[in-house]
Amino acid sequence: MSKPTHLSEADLTAFGQALDQIRDDVMSDLGERDARYILRVLRTQRASEVAGRALLFAGLLPPAWLAGTSLLALSKILENMEIGHNVMHGQWDWMNDPALDSATYEWDNTCPSAQWKHSHNYVHHTFTNIVDLDRDLGYTLLRVSEDQAWEPRFLAQPGIALLLAAFFQWGVALHDLEFERLGRDKSWKDMRAQAGQILAKVRGQLLKDYLLFPTLAGPLFAPVLAGNLSANFTRNIWSFLIIFCGHFTDEVEMYDRAEATDESRGQWYLRQLLGSSNLTGSVPFHVLSGHLSYQIEHHLFPDMPSHRYREIAPRVQALCAEYGINYNTGSLARQAGGVARRILRMSLPGRRRRRVTNTAADFAEAA
Amino acid sequence: MNPIVKRMLGSSLARALAHPSSVDDYLALIDDRLSLAEPRGRVVHAVRQTPDSVTLAIEPNSNWRGHHAGQHVLVGLTLDGARHSRCFSIASAPDEPLIEITVKRNGAGRVSNYLVDQAQRGQLLYLSPAEGDFCPRSQAPAKALLLSAGSGITPVMSVLRTWLSHGASTDIVFLHYARAPVDMIYADELEALAAEHARLQSITVFTGAGGARLDAAALDAQVPDLAERETWLCGPAGFMDTAETLIAARSSAPLHREQFAASRRASAHGQGAVQFLKSDIAASGEHGSLLEIAEDAGLSPPYGCRMGICHACKCHIAEGTVRDLRTDRVRQVRDTDLQLCIHAAAGDVAIDF
Repeated sequence: MSKPTHLSEADLTAFGQALDQIRDDVMSDLGERDARYILRVLRTQRASEVAGRALLFAGLLPPAWLAGTSLLALSKILENMEIGHNVMHGQWDWMNDPALDSATYEWDNTCPSAQWKHSHNYVHHTFTNIVDLDRDLGYTLLRVSEDQAWEPRFLAQPGIALLLAAFFQWGVALHDLEFERLGRDKSWKDMRAQAGQILAKVRGQLLKDYLLFPTLAGPLFAPVLAGNLSANFTRNIWSFLIIFCGHFTDEVEMYDRAEATDESRGQWYLRQLLGSSNLTGSVPFHVLSGHLSYQIEHHLFPDMPSHRYREIAPRVQALCAEYGINYNTGSLARQAGGVARRILRMSLPGRRRRRVTNTAADFAEAA
Repeated sequence: MNPIVKRMLGSSLARALAHPSSVDDYLALIDDRLSLAEPRGRVVHAVRQTPDSVTLAIEPNSNWRGHHAGQHVLVGLTLDGARHSRCFSIASAPDEPLIEITVKRNGAGRVSNYLVDQAQRGQLLYLSPAEGDFCPRSQAPAKALLLSAGSGITPVMSVLRTWLSHGASTDIVFLHYARAPVDMIYADELEALAAEHARLQSITVFTGAGGARLDAAALDAQVPDLAERETWLCGPAGFMDTAETLIAARSSAPLHREQFAASRRASAHGQGAVQFLKSDIAASGEHGSLLEIAEDAGLSPPYGCRMGICHACKCHIAEGTVRDLRTDRVRQVRDTDLQLCIHAAAGDVAIDF
């Protein structure tokens, strides 16, 4: 299925209103239950971090090292995905809890929160899947759409994708620097200021994981260092996998600037929906993915508390069925396969033969 | 918390190990009341002296730096998952180990109503440092008038308790206006203190059901030597304005106003457009404070006292022209944090919210 051409402007308005209704239903119902959920996740994350670091101090025993590393990785995954990412979207601001405040939250990642809120919350969530505007499309390293001009360097992109997966937090940290804008509409001065923030954050992260905790372990310096490295590595691979499955699967739609100009609310919703893809799985899997397994719902309502995506997904999916819109979902294996195929396919030249879409011109034509 | 443990946890090493979180985030695993810097407390007693009030004795953690008589504290608690803060006068004397506040039921006020109905021993409360000044001098005068109405009695009570606990030999007239006996908090304590201290005279006037109001005749009758007395005053705005005029005509001795209730405003008028940048909402600046405009636009910025004393609603203003509702002063601001509740738009304002 591709971009729907059967929807009239009235259909899209009604579709948008139905989604607004879902949003209102949830947002007016937030309370105790939601607070209990996120505070439980927060406690679990901190407890697993403390337990993980403590076990690593007994890291000469292989089972302790393995358990410690796993708990630390679990903590880092929960912190980045379900807590940090969602807190920075403002999902929990209504609680007025300083520990969950999007304005002040700093996550366990080399990317400074303030820069992430720009590159992710603003750039990516506003211009989702618009080639040349959404810098998350391939992270300016990979070609993931036929609309991006092919260059010989893309032949290497399967390898580059694997490297990006392993060092994902570093890719994220450098993302908002926007190297490609240097010399055009970005000054070296702005760049240096940003780089300073990144360095400060990187210093704190490196100091903690690769110097202080290993040193405190004394003779166990090496196992603790290795445990922390492995935990960070695991978190990187995991977040790369979840995030790439959210936007670069086989069926996901990409847009060009013309298609996304002067969008109505309904069209905006539609682009968010068709530009995202979900993953099916168990509740723990959803929690570990930061509920980005509900990427569609997240892109429709980025500031809705994450655990509610699970509850509204059937309503969104039913709405899609009603309007004949593709709801892209599948198992992790299936979606990851789609991502791999896309990355491989796009490494070779070839441009898309594009069909009509829901632009204002199309509506005029249809009328 | 043990001071040595606290110093260790506050060290730069501990902070670097907790990076990018704070040490407090990990202390919360053990107990919500633990914090390196934030004052927090738990309710030790909740006594309901009248049907629509509760007097709470709060045991603060070691971050509480004490208070002066007449100061207030911002009390925060979690209701339906969200944290709310409100201001309350402290009624206890500064050297008492527990902080005492009295909360009166307040129309639709969620926090006060919750505390009156539900507060019980063990309730966790987030506190601010004590704020405001009412009784900056520790020296009691030779003769004093403590004049209060309604819940304005609490800060005045703190002044009285402070003097009595220091054994001051001040000649005190405590004149309080309450609606009815059933509404009067601290009635028993005042009676007991007056019986014990010969130089304390306690007068209570009931205003309900056609009872007396504060006027010149009443004041002259109750406090004939007013000219010799220094006055401490707290109550609703109308009461305080009346009292201040009457006293100024009779005495040149200092008058101490608890500003808490006095800075309430009747209405706020503004002009221009208010732009909420993060929410991408524009609103007219004509009616209400910036806080009220935000709320009318469907936003919910944090707030506490709504009268400019607690700073809970402080928000970053990108740029704009604002009027301070307390002083009516108009000024241009840029990149400034302002309290939304006591500022109105005096031109276009862009708020980072």
